[in-house]
Amino acid sequence: MDRNSTGLVFVLPALIVLAMLVAYPVAYTGLLSVTDRQGAFVGLDNFSAVLGARATPQAFWNTLWFVGGSIVFQVVFGTAAAILLNQNFIGRGIVRSITLLPWVVPGIVAATTWAWMFHTEFGIINYMMTGAGVIPEPIGWLTNGSTVMPVLIAINVWKLFPFVAIMVLAGLQSIPNDLYEAARVDGANFWQEVFHIMLPQVRSVIVAVTLLLVIWGLNSITIIYAITRGGPANRTLITPIQIFRLAFESTNFNQAAALSVMFFAVALVIVIIYIKALASTPGEVK
Amino acid sequence: MGSVNIAQARKSYGALEVLHGVSVNIANGEFVVLVGPSGCGKSTLLRMIAGLEAISGGEIAIDGKVVNTLAPKERDIAMVFQSYALYPHMTVEANMGFSLRLGGAPKDAIKARVAEAAKMLGLEDYLKRYPRHLSGGQRQRVAMGRAMVRKPKVFLFDEPLSNLDAKLRVQMRSEIKRNHQRLKTTTVYVTHDQIEAMTMADRIVVMNGGVVEQVGSPLELYDRPANLFVAGFIGSPSMNILSGRLENGTFMTADGTAFAVPGMASFGNRDVRLGIRPEHLCLDPNGLRAEIVTVEPTGSETQVMMRLGGHDVVGVFRERVVNAPGEMLPVSIDAERAHIFDPQTGKRLEA
Repeated sequence: MDRNSTGLVFVLPALIVLAMLVAYPVAYTGLLSVTDRQGAFVGLDNFSAVLGARATPQAFWNTLWFVGGSIVFQVVFGTAAAILLNQNFIGRGIVRSITLLPWVVPGIVAATTWAWMFHTEFGIINYMMTGAGVIPEPIGWLTNGSTVMPVLIAINVWKLFPFVAIMVLAGLQSIPNDLYEAARVDGANFWQEVFHIMLPQVRSVIVAVTLLLVIWGLNSITIIYAITRGGPANRTLITPIQIFRLAFESTNFNQAAALSVMFFAVALVIVIIYIKALASTPGEVK
Repeated sequence: MGSVNIAQARKSYGALEVLHGVSVNIANGEFVVLVGPSGCGKSTLLRMIAGLEAISGGEIAIDGKVVNTLAPKERDIAMVFQSYALYPHMTVEANMGFSLRLGGAPKDAIKARVAEAAKMLGLEDYLKRYPRHLSGGQRQRVAMGRAMVRKPKVFLFDEPLSNLDAKLRVQMRSEIKRNHQRLKTTTVYVTHDQIEAMTMADRIVVMNGGVVEQVGSPLELYDRPANLFVAGFIGSPSMNILSGRLENGTFMTADGTAFAVPGMASFGNRDVRLGIRPEHLCLDPNGLRAEIVTVEPTGSETQVMMRLGGHDVVGVFRERVVNAPGEMLPVSIDAERAHIFDPQTGKRLEA
């Protein structure tokens, strides 16, 4: 055996495992999407059926809302937190650790905790806000169609902005001190340092992190499913949850597979556009 | 343009004092080099002038105005960093114009000033490039251009040439000097390289261990070093220092090697350190006998390390020395050019 094929033998076990865990499910999903319950080939029937469902377009828009809204605030808050945590102040180490907490808390635990905190009658948020006179009467945060999505976005932002903060902080710490000093000598104030030194220098980090957040956002089920299961009235039904419910609540695996295939395609397009648009802008720092 | 007056400047980090009351007055338009071994406090002093380090004690005034509590941008200074500290995400043009842009200057004014500086530095063809596309020497020029564009009162240079190769260093050295002659902006330049200091400075400030050892023009320091530190630091190869005793105008080392030192009779009889520059040794058939240790020909001259009077002594001769190590070389010492130092204080003794 020559060198190359010996190497192949060594990676074979890993490849087999990978094929079983990734390639097979993907291929099988593709197969499911064009067959019926009995396994007979039905062409694109599943696709037209799932596209015809009233929930589908709504879930699509909900997904865009949820992912878009989450990412904007995750990146803004995360970056702001990173810049703050990069400053010198007493107790910085402790604050850095505390900031990381939401990301460490398991999703299901966080979701349950927040669900109780936002509870209309027993939640601490309504209790405090009515007590302080901010709102005259309790709000049904999770049952009111106009508040439920913003609340879920807020919880998702709370959960993931520490991740952004840590990544951006690592990027900020790699900026040579000379650059700040040069900027200071050149007459920059703090905000000018932020916009002309820090942000351009961590741009590549932010781009990479945002991409991760897009992917995670499109796949996120835990928080929403644990809190609202997509309700009320499908107001928080996002496509991953629709797929989950189609498959495991309606046991319609074929339509769920068809929806998965389409969702996969859309997600792929979004990610490719994003990478093309942002990752290759000239003037990038090397 | 402006003067820089440093009065009893001190710097401590906690209980550790690294600058022990440094006073230097720099006249308007002067090119002053702070030189010394690493850790002597020269960079710290420069950063204190720039406002990047707080001043623990004393006073620093730029153009007559005390700047102790002013932020760097309020001091009207420009600094060239050792690493150049160019903004990697900005073009050369944007780098050079950054300070003006922050200052809110109109776009065409910035463009004109940048173009002017670029022309002076030969950077016109590189304005649209990013720093990573430039060579070390070009980056160095951009860093200078960024400082020049601002037309500050004082230029501060922090070891700007130490990242360049030897040839480029010599070239940039004369470029910096030429720019100073054209712009006549007060310049404070930090280096650990005494040759840079000698070739560029109007005046040199030699620092060691957080104090100023001597201030003077390059040749003053070379010809009349105030103490053993300056004597050893300025000049390459460095001055030979011989321990011995002066008796009746004759210098004698422990092993009995002796030669007359004219004009030193007034010191009386005492222990001294005698300093003699390598070029003030000459080949002389009637001279002292020194044992050759190594011979290093450089082409134009020959450096010979030898044992003389129990010391390692370096001589630089215009003649070509062909003797082998171990042989005896007769040399004489141009004792009129010898420097006499007190062995305890290290201070120069004047006749």
